[in-house]
Amino acid sequence: MNHEPYDTLAATYAVGALDGQERVDFERHLAGGCDVCETTLRDSAEALAALARARPPMIPPPAVKEELMRRIATTTPAQRGAPRPRRLVWAAGTVAAAIAAAAFTGTYVATKYEAKLGVMARESAELRARVEREEAALREQVAVYRNAADLLRDPQAQVVTLRGLGPSPEATGRVIWHPVNGGYVFVANLPAAPPGKAYELWTIGDAAPQPAGLFQVDASGRAAHRIAPVEGGKPVKVFAVTLETEAGVPQPQGPMVLASSK
Amino acid sequence: MATIGADLVRQMAAGDREAFAVFYDRYAPVVFPLILRIVRERADASDVLQEVFWEAWRDAPAYDVTRGSPEAWMVTRARTRAIDRIRATRRRGETFVAPLDEGIAAAPRASAPDAAERAADRGTVMSALDRLPDVQREVIELAYYAGLTQTEIAERLKQPLGTVKTRIRLGLERLREVVKASS
Repeated sequence: MNHEPYDTLAATYAVGALDGQERVDFERHLAGGCDVCETTLRDSAEALAALARARPPMIPPPAVKEELMRRIATTTPAQRGAPRPRRLVWAAGTVAAAIAAAAFTGTYVATKYEAKLGVMARESAELRARVEREEAALREQVAVYRNAADLLRDPQAQVVTLRGLGPSPEATGRVIWHPVNGGYVFVANLPAAPPGKAYELWTIGDAAPQPAGLFQVDASGRAAHRIAPVEGGKPVKVFAVTLETEAGVPQPQGPMVLASSK
Repeated sequence: MATIGADLVRQMAAGDREAFAVFYDRYAPVVFPLILRIVRERADASDVLQEVFWEAWRDAPAYDVTRGSPEAWMVTRARTRAIDRIRATRRRGETFVAPLDEGIAAAPRASAPDAAERAADRGTVMSALDRLPDVQREVIELAYYAGLTQTEIAERLKQPLGTVKTRIRLGLERLREVVKASS
């Protein structure tokens, strides 16, 4: 049969843009063994690699290699399937330990998912989409914890405690804050926001409170939320959380549920 | 060059950590700028880089030199993981990531002091993408660096899906020719 349609599919696949049923069909075609398409994919990968090599090289932050060397120091080829936890040489108190523990779980689960992916990919486009969504969600979660852990290693990072107020005295929170990079807030024991409402975070310096994003808590009352840096790197004196309408408000109006002390 | 890389992967597969260190020093400076171009935040890029090299250590026994150079093996992996990262972020609708167009426009260009020098011997490939007709370069950049699927590209450019696919195929064909001619 005419192979040309597959040439187009192979090119689109090579740049990662093939989707839907066509991707399923093409992968089936590949699985059946096609030298022409395999050559196209191999040559395309080499050409794209040559593009990457043609850019000026950049030395990555040394911490990446240090961390990797630590991670591989305790593995032998036989054990490689199960990544070992990173060592907590930098652990800065219970917050770091809690975040790290969650990151290990996330990495472990994500790795297990990857092993399964190979088998599932052939089953159906719908199933694939679902697995991808779940995997992405896990990766995202791991990413948040890792970024927060990285932030903690920076000597400029501070950990600020938030206490529950009025309507939710049981609630607790911690902010990991970096004056330049922003940070993360982690809360626990916060009741789910009523329908149509969301929690809004505020950073308060010398001027009026600045909105720092909306978040929801999960079924167990927890949330992790990224905080963008304050414009101009102005110092933040107080972090506070209020209950607002889902769309958010420019100035706090609802009840304050969590705040740091001055 | 590729043979040295392939030897390193073989040694890694046997559990040689020093070979891994050499492998890292050799390929991290190549894949890091690619990852950074895609994810744009340095902290995220460092994270993806670590993941990519961890997987290389883990998967070294499965590497097959007849299926591609170690460089292509790493670049493909780095691109995939970086795109996974931005797709996840995009799904979450985070606001701290620059909008897509800005990201492409802001893609780092040669800026190191000795870049011009290096560009001299890398010149041919360096400009390979720039030498494509704009419509072909555009679809390849949207797919490869911004992680859009063919359907998303067609919607964004308001072009029929078939046109998008043809542009990708022609662009990639030409890219392969340029690279082959220069190697």
